[in-house]
Amino acid sequence: MAKATEDEINIELLNLLLDLDNLIADMAEPIYKKIGFQIEDDATLSLMRKRNELMQKIPRELRELYERLKKRYHRAIFATVEEGFCRGCFQKLPTELLTKTKEIITCPNCGRIIYWQKK
Amino acid sequence: MNLASLLSKDRINLTLKPGKKDEVIKDLVYLMKKGSDADVIISTLLKREELGSTGIGKGIAIPHCRSLLVDKLEITVGRTIKPINFNAIDKKPVSLIFLIIAPPQDPGNQYLITLGKIVQIAKEITRKNLIDKPQTSEEFITTINEIEKELAKKRL
Repeated sequence: MAKATEDEINIELLNLLLDLDNLIADMAEPIYKKIGFQIEDDATLSLMRKRNELMQKIPRELRELYERLKKRYHRAIFATVEEGFCRGCFQKLPTELLTKTKEIITCPNCGRIIYWQKK
Repeated sequence: MNLASLLSKDRINLTLKPGKKDEVIKDLVYLMKKGSDADVIISTLLKREELGSTGIGKGIAIPHCRSLLVDKLEITVGRTIKPINFNAIDKKPVSLIFLIIAPPQDPGNQYLITLGKIVQIAKEITRKNLIDKPQTSEEFITTINEIEKELAKKRL
């Protein structure tokens, strides 16, 4: 199997970060507690610790991009590509971007990180 | 949201092999036929379990997570042949498992609302002693549909 590129590793780290942030945000929702799911007392602290560890592994410019997109789009910081269109803003992507499936690239229109969903 | 409409026959396994909690979760994710993405989803679900079991008591568990690997809410259901240890909130073994994966972004927090509804339906299933009753996937969907209709009537 081909070795993962630096960008592939970073996109994986950003995914993990988003997963963690989603979990932290969901657990903080009043409705989540009302549902009755059991959460260990130190769960949020432990998640925050994991988040900090993960942040250290991600290059600074990507961390900043992530935080910027999160602030702007809440959880929708990634957008899949379908038939050449960004699913975040539904704009056609320039052809030259469509071959860069292993690089971290952002949609020139909405700025979301473009993500190729595996079929 | 109608839970019955989110269920499909090929994503229900009422003769799930009993095993460790992790193994049963894996089997249920494999029902989604996600190929190599399955491992990522399993790992996210297990991370959630580490923070506290999703076994809500009375024999039912609802493992759940959000994942970029789905673009709409997806559900699989399993019933183990024998109840298994899920470290549930009431310490009782679990046999009926609803597994839910939702995309990270969902307008109006539909995911949490759906989770809440599933918990409500699951409680009805145990209250009416229906966990072991449906014998086929079709019967299971019919049971869920009936419970949803009853709950909707009560709300009126």
